Amino acid sequence: MNHDGRSFFSRVFKTYSAPFLTLIDHRNLVYRLLRREVVSRTSGTWLGGLWLVAQPALQMGAFWFLLDFVLKVRSPGQVAFLDYFLTAMLAWLFISEVLSRSLNVLSEFSPIYQRTVFPVQVLPLVPLLMGVMIYLPVMGGVVWLLAGWQAAVSSQWLLVMLAVWLIPFCYLLALLGLFFRESRQVFPFLLTLLMYLSPVLYQPEALPPGLRSLMIWNPIADWLSVIQYAVHGLPMEPVQAWGLGALWMLLLPPAWVVFRRAESQMREEL
Amino acid sequence: MSIRLEHLSKSYRHYRSGWDRARALFHSSMQSSERQVLAPLTLDIGRGEVVGLIGVNGAGKSTLLKLIAGTLRPSTGVATHEGRLCALLELGAGFHPEMTGRENIHLAAAVGGQKSADTERLFDSIVDFAGLRAVIDQPVKTYSSGMMMRLAFSVATAVDPDILILDETLSVGDGVFARKSFERIMGFKEAGKTILFCSHSMYQVQAICNRALWLDQGHLRMDGDPVEVIAAYNEFMENQNAQAGSEGLALPRQGVSASSSGKEQLTRLRAVEVSVDDVSGTRLAVKSGQSEVSIHVAYASDAGGHAPCVAVMLVSASGRPVASASTLNDRVSLRRDVRGNGEVWLRFARFPLLQGCYWIHVFLLSEQGLMVLDKARMVAELVVSQETLEQGVVTLPHLWSDSMPGIVTSPQG
Repeated sequence: MNHDGRSFFSRVFKTYSAPFLTLIDHRNLVYRLLRREVVSRTSGTWLGGLWLVAQPALQMGAFWFLLDFVLKVRSPGQVAFLDYFLTAMLAWLFISEVLSRSLNVLSEFSPIYQRTVFPVQVLPLVPLLMGVMIYLPVMGGVVWLLAGWQAAVSSQWLLVMLAVWLIPFCYLLALLGLFFRESRQVFPFLLTLLMYLSPVLYQPEALPPGLRSLMIWNPIADWLSVIQYAVHGLPMEPVQAWGLGALWMLLLPPAWVVFRRAESQMREEL
Repeated sequence: MSIRLEHLSKSYRHYRSGWDRARALFHSSMQSSERQVLAPLTLDIGRGEVVGLIGVNGAGKSTLLKLIAGTLRPSTGVATHEGRLCALLELGAGFHPEMTGRENIHLAAAVGGQKSADTERLFDSIVDFAGLRAVIDQPVKTYSSGMMMRLAFSVATAVDPDILILDETLSVGDGVFARKSFERIMGFKEAGKTILFCSHSMYQVQAICNRALWLDQGHLRMDGDPVEVIAAYNEFMENQNAQAGSEGLALPRQGVSASSSGKEQLTRLRAVEVSVDDVSGTRLAVKSGQSEVSIHVAYASDAGGHAPCVAVMLVSASGRPVASASTLNDRVSLRRDVRGNGEVWLRFARFPLLQGCYWIHVFLLSEQGLMVLDKARMVAELVVSQETLEQGVVTLPHLWSDSMPGIVTSPQG
């Protein structure tokens, strides 16, 4: 019984640690694939890889100019709307980029993993790490300007935690994009819908009480609350953070197991 | 034992939709149509064996190599191997055109499972072998396809494998590099490495391998000495052709330098001319036992390298080899001018083949006769007629005698 118990816990621990061990075991390959991504996205440009960071930074600058100087948006509340909006929008851009790229990652890399002895399990982690590489400095810079360096460091830590939390979604979306091609067509619409259902463009208290209760079912809303709490000191219920942790614990093992099970079919699918 | 296959098989399942495929991850009984590409196979391959896989397209050769290499997962059974395995299944997989040769070496090595330190250590030898030092820091999109292949081959074979798996190709690139790549593979053979390759060239299988596996529709038809396996395979193919009514005449006719794909290469056939009794042409009438058939071959070669060999093969209308002659077998050294150009004539006096149609193929081979450097297939058709009632394919030199030796009758005079 004891032996079975140890074996069960050992398997559970292995499943939770598997994506991290994958990163460590294949760090050289991951580094090369990230470099490949950077070159793919910025080849022929003068600034090269700097564009990856410059793009969201410029986007934030444009939002700031439009909302603060042109439209002069002001809203009552504990935090200026612009500060709230820029912080939430950055987190949202990170999430949406990671999720959209995860959906296509297996198709993009099929010429490699179908023809070589290749650890497919590293692939869903590539868009995730790419997102971290891009948004970590931007988040740090923007939040530093808005709320100071301590908030900047906190926001960067939270971005890393958000990336870890997204791991099971990356694996599941990678499979979804491979087996259900229609999902790639529908996903941009679903992402837009999710953005409007999350408190990015508005603060939660701006919603009518009836709609506010719907936020309970949206983990992205919880993440935005956690980030706003850490950066601007807005109120947050501890249950929101616990809920996010529980969801991750529930999703990671099945996501990993299903992905590994599907590997042989992936190599034969396209 | 180097490689062990135990009840190894592969079937591909086809599902009606992605939804069915996803459900199959949880229910193995999910309905699907199944196509078996490799029937359960059990065999051992010893260390140092060079094994050639032969069979028609779709026989399961590439599938078997992929299963052993690990790019495909078997449906049943296991494939195990001892030692480091290097598989050249797809050269250049993962290369990115915008990245430099240097970056692509690191990327391809990482994709191939090499450690970063190993790649660093081998970097210079990889670049030198590919002969691309001058352009190694330029994006590979500026490389020709031949340069790309050289780089990919150089990366893939830079490590010292215990087992080498090659799909279809035994040499890559053009001219000089094709020879280099072939020599590297032969070097692995001489070093006692285990080599598995599939090829449609029976000549190469027979010349290089000490064991041949013939796969047919996913089943192992024969396993043994290459000479015996190839003979059985050729007979099978001839029967297949006869049944299908696809005679050799239906094959596309190819001229000189057909293998060079229009690219300029150093060692190549320049001209091939066939004449019968001093009459040249591509469809020639021949009288069995009387006509003289002459084949003139002109070639170009690398003046600094070894002289190539020339081989001529006569095949029946169904494509079966009937006879051949090569300068290597006959120990004839070819003379070349300072630029590496040369020519040679082959004469068949009193042409000994009996009535029928025969095609002539001409090959330019490496000095050891293992690698085909250039070829010209079906350069001429010989339509042989005979006045006698002799049966068969060829008139063999022969002697009749009664009990007393020395009293002879010979049609050869």
